[in-house]
Amino acid sequence: MNAFRNEARIALAVARKDALSELRGRHATVSTLFFAAVVLLLFGFALGPDSARLAAAAPGLLWLAVVFAGLLAVNRLHLLETDDGALEQLALYPVSRRAIYAGKALGGFGVMVLLGVVVLGAVGVLFAVDIGGAWPALLATVVLGALGVAAVGTFYAGITVRLRAREVMLPLLMLPVLAPLLLAAVKATGAALSGDPFGELASWLQLLMAFDVLMLVAGLATYGFLLEDG
Amino acid sequence: MPQTTIYVSPRSLGAPDTRPPAVLTTDLARLFAGSPALAGVSLRVDAGRAVGLLGANGAGKTTLLRILATAIRPSYGHGAVDGYDLGRDAAIVRERVAYLSHATGLYDDLTARENLRFAAVMLGTEDAAARVERALDDVGLAARAGDRVRDFSAGMRKRLALGRILLGRASLVLLDEPYAALDADGMALVDQLLGAWREVGVAVLVASHTTERMASMLDGSAVLERGLVVEVTGTGVGSTPPSLPGTSRPVVAEAPR
Repeated sequence: MNAFRNEARIALAVARKDALSELRGRHATVSTLFFAAVVLLLFGFALGPDSARLAAAAPGLLWLAVVFAGLLAVNRLHLLETDDGALEQLALYPVSRRAIYAGKALGGFGVMVLLGVVVLGAVGVLFAVDIGGAWPALLATVVLGALGVAAVGTFYAGITVRLRAREVMLPLLMLPVLAPLLLAAVKATGAALSGDPFGELASWLQLLMAFDVLMLVAGLATYGFLLEDG
Repeated sequence: MPQTTIYVSPRSLGAPDTRPPAVLTTDLARLFAGSPALAGVSLRVDAGRAVGLLGANGAGKTTLLRILATAIRPSYGHGAVDGYDLGRDAAIVRERVAYLSHATGLYDDLTARENLRFAAVMLGTEDAAARVERALDDVGLAARAGDRVRDFSAGMRKRLALGRILLGRASLVLLDEPYAALDADGMALVDQLLGAWREVGVAVLVASHTTERMASMLDGSAVLERGLVVEVTGTGVGSTPPSLPGTSRPVVAEAPR
């Protein structure tokens, strides 16, 4: 129990440190939100002014914007560690690697939830989608989706942070792994917006949960190897 | 300059000769892209001794310190800190080693105090709030504790990184060019810390070009040349016999191109 409490304390310290750096430097939030807004606007232009068509495409557009912007966010959060050898120092602390992963993922989760909520609101306004009655289910989808993106992103950003071509490598590695999450999140969002006529919402949310658990366990088990530098 | 308090584990106090060597390496080698930065270092540094690591640029000083800090793994050979293997017991070694590298490992958007508070949590420092304030005072940054590190000079960053070492309970301190970027007061601070660590029985391995300045504070020194120990002088340091025959030859050589 003490070991768990100690790891939780370390994870919270890492997440708090990332949150403070983010609040002051706005490395991830501003660029990520602008990027998501641009993605939504461009998709809107590409699909044309047909409001029924835009509303039908809204779940897919929402999650494409969240995932693309999420790539940027997790990358930016790991770039904090490239300041003046910070990543090496982080690896040299005598703490559990699981706790460091959990802290980085928690920081990423916070940014992703904020991003998901803002993009959801933007989709509602831009594509005239009524999200009034569906907000509890939509919020659950956003939270579970954000957790999955943060779990996967923290792991892969740990791999690519030392690479010169990290901006190219991160999406190449992350997007195929995120395909099940994208599918489940889009389906859950669509079901929530349409009032869940076929009773499928719970199944998609369960799939999202299973994805999150699997990715978190994989990340917790393997992140330590990524911190070792050769 | 205030009197610095060095916190040490009970294991660092007592009779030094009963403790295992602070550093013991055998045939330690590290290749980068096929070229040996360390070619087979066999070195012993006794517990509680201050030893200088000398040599020209590229001799392998930084690589040796990074391996001892567990920042990188050796390509060949093995080493131990306080009797704990660098590979198998890396987690224990990290509890016992403090490392000041060229990079300070600080977060630009955090203040000096926030950087040390984060380090205190990661190092499991007891009575962290008071220790952080004490460390800030010890390294002469109490007045700038609330300023973001982004606005600090290279010398101030190095002072803060030294303050981070004061939060731990290391039994081996590795310093890579500790005088670089420091003004006269900063250099005096390093001198004071070297003396304090020596007094309480913490082993120190210092890589530096400022040999004259350090001479009176060191028990001994080892000279590295092209990744090999070529000379050992003084007390508390020795070159252990390599496990391979042909002791004067490196255990790894330049890769064919």
